[in-house]
Amino acid sequence: MIRFALIAALVAAPAVAQDFSEGSEAREWGLFAEQKARFTATVSDPLCELAGDCAADCGGGTRQVVLIREADDVMLFPMKNAQTSFNGAVADLAPFCGQTVEVDGLVLDDPEIGAVNVYLVQRIRPDGGEWQRANTWTDNWAEKNPGREGPGPWFRRDPRVLERIEEEGYLGLGEEVDKAFIADWF
Amino acid sequence: MRLALPLLTLLAAPALAATDGERIQVTGEVIDTWCYFSGVMGGPEAVVGSAHHTCALWCSAGGIPVALLAPDGTVYMVLKMAGDDQTAGGDTSLRIAAHTIEADGIVYRRDGLNYIIVEEILADQDIINATHEDFGVTPGFAIPESAAQ
Repeated sequence: MIRFALIAALVAAPAVAQDFSEGSEAREWGLFAEQKARFTATVSDPLCELAGDCAADCGGGTRQVVLIREADDVMLFPMKNAQTSFNGAVADLAPFCGQTVEVDGLVLDDPEIGAVNVYLVQRIRPDGGEWQRANTWTDNWAEKNPGREGPGPWFRRDPRVLERIEEEGYLGLGEEVDKAFIADWF
Repeated sequence: MRLALPLLTLLAAPALAATDGERIQVTGEVIDTWCYFSGVMGGPEAVVGSAHHTCALWCSAGGIPVALLAPDGTVYMVLKMAGDDQTAGGDTSLRIAAHTIEADGIVYRRDGLNYIIVEEILADQDIINATHEDFGVTPGFAIPESAAQ
């Protein structure tokens, strides 16, 4: 009976989030729900993990990637890199598809809006290698967009973004709505 | 003992069953997940719709994952959009940033997040959430001053 009670208690116990902050050197971003988190994980393809739809090299940078944490098999979604310029983590993580890496960064935990196991990766250490910053996205963008050099950040010069703004406007509601708004905004 | 054995079986069960897909049809806005989850630009109501359209373009082109935000607040992380698996900066998601769409797809759930493979966009309602009327633009520098000249 006691054994049954113990098992029942175990089943009923709420999942206690593990603390992965030990040894982290992640920079704080001042986000509402951030916690430092450094852990070992396998870089994987979420379509492969969830639906068995597996691409070579996790899609080679075109698909999103996930981190399967070694300590508890939890799948985290690394949606941001270390840069503060509106870019994601795939360029930094996809080269390690299928490999075990150590990562350091910030995990967000705000279940009220659905943010659970969401991750910002700041640095990556391949198995047996050195730490490297997760900041390669803008260099990759520059390589893919020759002739787009100039002042200002990439997102002011990106041809696809500029094309969308040209077509839909800054607000996405067309030229007339933009014109009226801009006259009031500045 | 008769009760304990099923409980032990439950504890030992593999997690694979949690990833079985479920076909759904859902209407939702194509959102920029980082700004929505992180609060870096303000509250969630300020980082959707027209106020956030330009930033949503930046983030989508920048490879930040997009999601569908359903009217009940459920967030579905998009792993394919209309069959296109190029969700790390691909064109399909970029073209419909901040649009509200009606989608047919398969949903998976794992470790607290919902994931969706959108097989078909049944309807594109364009941008219907005129948040700029309440919030201006987020971030405030989304529109360059040169646009006023």
